[in-house]
Amino acid sequence: MLKATTRRFLVIIGLAAIPATALAEVPRIPVLVPLTGFLSLEGTAQRNGAVMALEADKSVTFEVSDTGTSPEVAVNAMERALRDIHVGAVIGPILGTQMLALLPLAEEYRVPLVTISGTAKLTEMGNPWIFRFFPGDAVTKVAHARYVAEELGAKRPAILFQTTAYGQSGRAHLAETFASLGVAPVYEEGLDVSVKDMAPALSKAMATNPDVLVLHLHSGPTALLVRQARAQGIDIPIVAGSAMHQPTTAALLEAAELKGVCAESGSSPISGGSSEMERFAADYRRKFGSEPDAFALAQYDATRMLLAARHAGAVGGAPLRDWLAANSFEGLAMTYKSDGKGNMAHDAVIVCYDGDSRIPRIAKRYKGVDQAL
Amino acid sequence: MELLQLVINGVALGAAYALVALGFVLVLNATGAVNFAQGDLVVAGGFMGVALVGLIPLPAILLLPLVMLTMAAIGLAVSALAYWPLRDRPPVSVFISTIALGIIIQNGLNGAFGAEPRTAPAMFGAGRFEFAGLAVGHQSLAIMVVAALLIGGIHLLLGRSQLGRMLRATAQDREVAAALGIPVGGMVALTFALAAALAGAAGLLLANQFFVSPADGGNFIVKAYIAVVIGGWGRVGGALAGAMLVALFETVVAAWFDYAVASGLLYAALLAILFVRPQGLFGETVGRRA
Repeated sequence: MLKATTRRFLVIIGLAAIPATALAEVPRIPVLVPLTGFLSLEGTAQRNGAVMALEADKSVTFEVSDTGTSPEVAVNAMERALRDIHVGAVIGPILGTQMLALLPLAEEYRVPLVTISGTAKLTEMGNPWIFRFFPGDAVTKVAHARYVAEELGAKRPAILFQTTAYGQSGRAHLAETFASLGVAPVYEEGLDVSVKDMAPALSKAMATNPDVLVLHLHSGPTALLVRQARAQGIDIPIVAGSAMHQPTTAALLEAAELKGVCAESGSSPISGGSSEMERFAADYRRKFGSEPDAFALAQYDATRMLLAARHAGAVGGAPLRDWLAANSFEGLAMTYKSDGKGNMAHDAVIVCYDGDSRIPRIAKRYKGVDQAL
Repeated sequence: MELLQLVINGVALGAAYALVALGFVLVLNATGAVNFAQGDLVVAGGFMGVALVGLIPLPAILLLPLVMLTMAAIGLAVSALAYWPLRDRPPVSVFISTIALGIIIQNGLNGAFGAEPRTAPAMFGAGRFEFAGLAVGHQSLAIMVVAALLIGGIHLLLGRSQLGRMLRATAQDREVAAALGIPVGGMVALTFALAAALAGAAGLLLANQFFVSPADGGNFIVKAYIAVVIGGWGRVGGALAGAMLVALFETVVAAWFDYAVASGLLYAALLAILFVRPQGLFGETVGRRA
């Protein structure tokens, strides 16, 4: 029989022989999303998509943190999350102002930051650690403007946009694309997210005799404007931003109010199109009791690409960044591939409501809009 | 004609804001403190309409009494939680406690209903009246009529009833009222209940036309606060006038300029009133400012 001291010595030797990484590595992916505040609807969709992918994989743990609406809260959440050395990547909030605040942190901690925020500036600052999985304004607003000008043949659009960073970024891209298409907007106005009565904006816009209303607003304001426009008897086409594709936005309106309303988006899960898409939508409904939207699907695809990178051996930090930058991924919504700046998504769709139901059909697909593929 | 249309829109919106401001000033007068949860109580009223229509699919006009009664009960709870334990402390304590309660209400609504905007049932149904080139939505008309009836009812209660006299006595001087045998604690609780009922009515009225989401409370309390400052701190009539002015800036002035400018002009007008006539347009109740 071995003496006690000898037994203890052998245990210590045995433990020391186990690779340190095998003992210490508990891979974790923080999910930082706005679950409260004016962007909570989109943030909840983002959370749901991420959770669906992470729970299906089971090779990592994850923690969801609410970033609210202020950049400071997002920064604090990320700093708290990054105290864990086993965080290889971070899923960042959809809110552009928060993402802008997180970019320096991602660079400082050398952690890839995956987002679905559409604010263009995020990938224009030379930060190699950001990867955007929702088509940016350079894709969606181009598709938006092209549909208005080329498919509807509109010559006199009136643009109503949100005064947030998201809204102003979108407006700038819309204006640039319209100019390149030889179309001059007849009216433009920025709306604060708190505005409830759209009548003043609508009366000024209609006074300029537009042939289409082009919206780039968040969910609630989009629905408000569509409802109030239809209530005033304004029946010209309305082509809205991605908020209008969301089932929760359409649910605020009667089907008849949606007649003549279209929206741009990265995708439209509830519009179907493939058996995999329909399965995703059914699984999402079963798990969360709500309809999936493009934000949920984009985050689902983004998270699956993160997990694919991990399974390929790029578990975090610079190796993960390099893998994401070099590889493409066949997601449910589209094929994702970096353009060198971190923009991974390059396709967009235009969905339109026929006035009979709240489920839109895909009216037009735009692939490789920024020709990065 | 377009101006008249915008004025009508503004009056409808102002009528709903007036209910919020009226509840705000009732509590202010009764306690000397600001109830910062008033805006979140408006949102709670809207969501109550959303929830009730799922259980009792009726027009909102028939749900209104139930919403107001339930909100009144919630008002009693607000009084018990945010005011009663702090009644002998400086008014700023109630200010802070109601801020905290408002956040709890907001997050509770977010947890219960989710973050997305919701719509409550219309008072009488969709549609609009058109006459002489003007269009007035059924809902807008309902807001004006219901708000006018409620404000009139409060006016009669306060001015023509024994209960109203006791409420006014409590608002004017709680110590003297207590010395006269008026149950001051009960009057304060009743005031909170009335304020919450009015907030609930405003929420139900607004939630159909303008939707409701958990984060909306902050906007309503800011508007109520501005209305009360413009009208005169503690003045009921001033609060109503101030609320109407806020709404007209959001509709008529915003139609001439844009929303950002209209908002700036509203705050500039507020500053001008504070500089030129700090007691507000209708004067203020002395010694009540908080």
